[in-house]
This record gives sequence, C-alpha cells and structure tokens, in this order.
Amino acid sequence: MSEQREPRMILVRDLWIIRLHWFNALGWALLVASGFAIISGDSLRLAPAFWPTFVQNLFGGNAAVISAHAVVGLVWLLGIALFVAWRWRSVVAPFLRGVLSITPRAIIADLPFTVITLARLFGFMKRARVAPQGRYNGAQRLLGTMIIVASLLIAVTGLYLYFSPKLFSFAAAPVFGALFRTALLVHAAAVFLVLFGLVAHIYFAVVEEREALEAMKTGYISVDFIHHHSPLWHEQLKREGKV
Amino acid sequence: MTKRYVMLADITRCINCKACVVACRAEWETPLGHSRDWVKEVELSTADGFPVVQLFPGRCQHCDDVPCVEACPSGAAWKRADGIVLVDDALCSGCELCVPACPYEARWLNPQTNTISKCTFCQPRVDEGLPPACVQTCVGGALRFGDANDPDSEVSRLLGDKPWLQLTTAEVPGGTRHYYHTGGAPLPNEVLPRPVGQHVQAALLGNVVNPAAGIGIGGMVAAFVGAGVKKIIDRRNALAGGKENTHE
Repeated sequence: MSEQREPRMILVRDLWIIRLHWFNALGWALLVASGFAIISGDSLRLAPAFWPTFVQNLFGGNAAVISAHAVVGLVWLLGIALFVAWRWRSVVAPFLRGVLSITPRAIIADLPFTVITLARLFGFMKRARVAPQGRYNGAQRLLGTMIIVASLLIAVTGLYLYFSPKLFSFAAAPVFGALFRTALLVHAAAVFLVLFGLVAHIYFAVVEEREALEAMKTGYISVDFIHHHSPLWHEQLKREGKV
Repeated sequence: MTKRYVMLADITRCINCKACVVACRAEWETPLGHSRDWVKEVELSTADGFPVVQLFPGRCQHCDDVPCVEACPSGAAWKRADGIVLVDDALCSGCELCVPACPYEARWLNPQTNTISKCTFCQPRVDEGLPPACVQTCVGGALRFGDANDPDSEVSRLLGDKPWLQLTTAEVPGGTRHYYHTGGAPLPNEVLPRPVGQHVQAALLGNVVNPAAGIGIGGMVAAFVGAGVKKIIDRRNALAGGKENTHE
C-alpha cells in the first residue's frame, strides 16, 4: 500500500492579506521618509540635516511635506482600518490571538526563543533547545506585539498632531498644547521602536528565510518549512486535515 | 552685499513714554495684555546712594545662533539671510516648544491666532523701505534701525561713534542684532538673558529618544550586517570543505 504524500506547498494567506502587507510596507516607507523631513529644528531633528532640506525644497516648503505626510498617513490608517473591519473574524482576530504577547507570562515565555534565535545568528547557543513553536515563534510574537502597539500609538498621536491645532485653542487650554508636545515625543519614540524591529524583520525575510518572503508574494509556503519552523502549527494543520 | 539689519537702543535717550509699545501694538493689533516689545525699568542706586532708573526698550534680539529656530519642530521659526527671525504662521502649531528656548522671553502664544508672536523688526515695513513702527514713533530718538553692512547708513555711523553692548552672558554667548548704548554703565542683571530652556518633552526627545534611537537602530543594523557577513563566510567555508572532500 503506498503512503499518501503530503502536498508540497500549502496556501497560508490570500491575495488581500498579501496586498495589505505591501500596502503597509509602502505606507511605512513614505511616512518615514516624509516624517523625517518634517522635523526641522536642530535640537529635535530625527534625520541628518540634509534630508529635511532636500525634501522640503523638493516639495516647495514644509507645509506641502506636512500635507503629504498627513494624506499618506490617513490613507494608510483608513486602508488598515477597512481591512480590520472587513476581515476581523476570518483573519485579524486569529492573527492577533496568535501573535500578541502582552502578559508578563507570555513575554517571559517568548524571550528564550528570541534570545537563542539571535544568538545562533552569530554562532552561539547552537545546542540550546527551544520549545516547539506555533505559526508565530517567540521572536515574531514579541516583534509583532511591539509593532502593533507602536502602530496604534503612532496612529493616535499622528491624528492628534495634525488635527489638534485646527480644533483646539492651545492658548485657551494649555493642556492641549502639553498633549501636543507629548504626542510629538510618543510619535517619534514609537516610530523608532518599529524601525528597530523592522531591521530584524527585513533581515530574516531577505537573508535568513527567503521562503517566508516568497510566501508574502505568492501566499504559498512549503509544508516542510512549516514542519521545520512551526511544528505546533504543522500539528494543527494536520488535525484540520489541511496537510 | 547681503543686508545686516540691526536695532540700536540708546537708553540715555529713552524717556519711558512707551510710544514704541503703542506703535507696535497698533501695527500688529496684538491682543489685550500682549505686546511684541516693552520697556523694562531697572531701579539702581549710585555709589553715593542716589536712586537711578535705567530704561531698556526690549524685544526679540534676533540672535545670530537662534535657539528658537533649533527648538521649532516644524520649521515655522526661521531666520532670513539678513538676520531677521520670523514665524511662518501657516506652519506654526502653537506648541510653544520655542517659548522656553528664547532667552529674552520675547515669544508668546497669541490667543487670537493660536500661533507664536514675536518682534519681526516689522519685516513687511522693512521690505517696503520703511523703519519698524517702534523706531518711526520713538520721540526721543532712542531707537535706530538700519543696515549695518551699509557703511553710509546711520546705524553704521552710530556703531562707530559710541560704545554699544549686547545682552549676552557666558551662558548665552551668541551675538544678536540688537545693541544698547548705556552711557558707559554696566548692563544690570535684570535685563540679561536667562539660560536657554526646554519643555520636558523636547528635552526627552533631543537628549534621550533621538540618541537612544541612533544607538539602537545603528546597533541593530551593524549586528545584522555582521550576521549576514558571517553567513556568507560560513557558506564559503562549507563549499570549500565540500570541494576538499570531493578531491579526496
């Protein structure tokens, strides 16, 4: 009797999820490039001085850069919000359940995998044993949680930074001005946190796990890859009869 | 040659009539309780006990090194090539990050416009060839304004004729475009600039978040470039090992 072979490739995300990922990536690239060009003062500047000068000259002034940043930001926010509302039950809620690592217990549980994964890049801890991981491993969960929380902060503070001077009188109620200054600080700090995490995200996608990058283009990934990297997910797919 | 606009205040000629303040408020329609210029009265006593009042007409000193411009997140505060420090109302959010940065307390949030107001040396008038409103109205001739790069200007002549002082200290050492003639008297502490200040958010952003981000993101990039290089070396070594085994 011949053994039934597992299908070599499996569809793990549909076209709209792939489009959302690259929409998000494009939004981030444009928002970081324009955001770093807005902050001009030397004591607050986030990028080397040539960048704000170059972009502001290109756009004909900082007012146009701010408008462009706001338009892209609103489109980015609206696009993601629409997707969340549309695919909440089928995609977003399961994704959040899988990726969020918010409680201290969950964070502590995810730390060893993260440390070992990073150490192995440099040839350390090769014999250290790691617990079998689900669809999202410990490092992905910590990174994903940080990016989701930071993105929410960026969206809220970004909306306040753009609209509050138009809606409130900072002179009449100084608390709105203090909130504006705090929003600026939180906005910048949250962007830096995401960029910090993106370095690792891009490295793993481009250098370490090219198959994961391919899966973010086609939606398909090999069962071997899932079995090797995410044995708990592989078990789950088997139980569901998908592999 | 680029113009270098300067304001001269001869305090020995000031009579505290405050016509300059009235003219400024009329020119810029500043709200009640707010003005872009002022006359500071400093009470002193001479060595033999006689009281003396010194009068210092004051306003934005149009610093050479501009801490308000450095503190402004949006570029609303800016300095022209001729030295006049301006505010672009369209860009100003009224966040007041520049207010504590001004050592002369010359910036304030205008409750009518919700943007920062300050002396601009009456830039629109200057661009039309007129003197600032305060200079035009000064009845004692204490205030003078002009291009210090023009050797034939009145301000160039006056700067050469008398000793002039600037409101600077060891903590605020940069030059300004505002000069005072005191008749030889030293500048009283009351008119000297305060140290450049910061809101706590600006201090955190400039001194903690930005440096930490530079180190953190730079460190991550360096670490992952190192990991990539190690991966290439390991792969070459593995290939070389494979070839040697083949030869054997």
